[in-house]
Amino acid sequence: MISELISKDDRFQEILERLNRKSVEDYYNPYRMFDWPDSLPEHRWWMSPELTTTFGTDIAAELSEEQLYRLSRFESINFYSLNVDGIRDLIVEVTRRIHTRGFEVPSEFFHHFIGEENEHMWFFAEFCLRYGNKIYRQLEPAGDGETWSDEAASFLVFLRILLFEELVDHFNSTMAADERLHDTIRAVNRIHHQDESRHIAFGRELVSLLFRDLTANGSQEELERVRAYIRRYLNYSFESLFNPHVYRDAGIPEPFAVRRRLLAHPRSAEFQQQVFRKPLNYLVKTGILPDRELGFARTPVGRGNA
Amino acid sequence: MPSTTSSNLDTVRNWLLAKHPERTSIAADEDLIKARLVDSLSFVEFVLTVEEASGVEIDHETIDLEDFRTLEAIERKYF
Repeated sequence: MISELISKDDRFQEILERLNRKSVEDYYNPYRMFDWPDSLPEHRWWMSPELTTTFGTDIAAELSEEQLYRLSRFESINFYSLNVDGIRDLIVEVTRRIHTRGFEVPSEFFHHFIGEENEHMWFFAEFCLRYGNKIYRQLEPAGDGETWSDEAASFLVFLRILLFEELVDHFNSTMAADERLHDTIRAVNRIHHQDESRHIAFGRELVSLLFRDLTANGSQEELERVRAYIRRYLNYSFESLFNPHVYRDAGIPEPFAVRRRLLAHPRSAEFQQQVFRKPLNYLVKTGILPDRELGFARTPVGRGNA
Repeated sequence: MPSTTSSNLDTVRNWLLAKHPERTSIAADEDLIKARLVDSLSFVEFVLTVEEASGVEIDHETIDLEDFRTLEAIERKYF
């Protein structure tokens, strides 16, 4: 039972207390935190070019500087939109568990977590609506035929939250430090990075604990299914960065074909390893995954070549 | 404009078959989700495949899962 594991784990409880204190000390009013100019300059990077999906590919070489700036604008709106949808899901999952059996100890931290995530969602949505006039909606995942034990289900919920935060943080930390970007863009990324470092520290501890619970109580067969799911989830999350609607909005012809070409490009596998460098280190170190291999070798299937 | 040819629906069928090499055919009325030919992690990719093959822009916010449950439902709605 997870509550027993938590109550016996002094290290986890000490970390929780420290993170609770930090949340109180670092508390800020997000609604007064940012300068929101009426518009941001279009002839400039909106996202670090190295983080855009076309970087280092023949497709980027075919685009003018102006087109690349425009693409970086829509890719950044897609990135913040992913945050909005991702945060909605994680707030729902954590809210389901707060003050329920098994989660008595982390419930105080869950209050900070839910509050902070709500604020993050607000400033990401504000950015999208002010500067992109839209939020790119992600599809609700449908048709999950997998059945999991309670241990595996809780483990996967918090692992998904952690991996989502780690993915986002790679982008935030890079963009916060990138002098080519406008101050407002850097500020949004910096503030989020500061809060997320606490959430990630918590997530890594909780997920390690839940993994111990899973290996102690679950079967080897389920563990292998969990591992296969994690690899697929890492590919699924990464692919969400390649949104054909973004390419269309940026004025790039044949957006679906562009997406396929990009996903099949060797740079994408490299990019994925960069994006997930830290979480993969964590997953391998904790034994959650045996290695860093994600099997990300896309066969370009689809119209005309299926 | 929505396509009126069945060859574009074949693109959708071929995408599913490529993902499931153990299968050689998929009946038009087979429940794709029940048969686990599509699951939560492949659903996005699947919808994008339908969107491209049909040429119909799909509003991700208002999607009805029933329209994606079988190949014939997809054909009815998008082709």
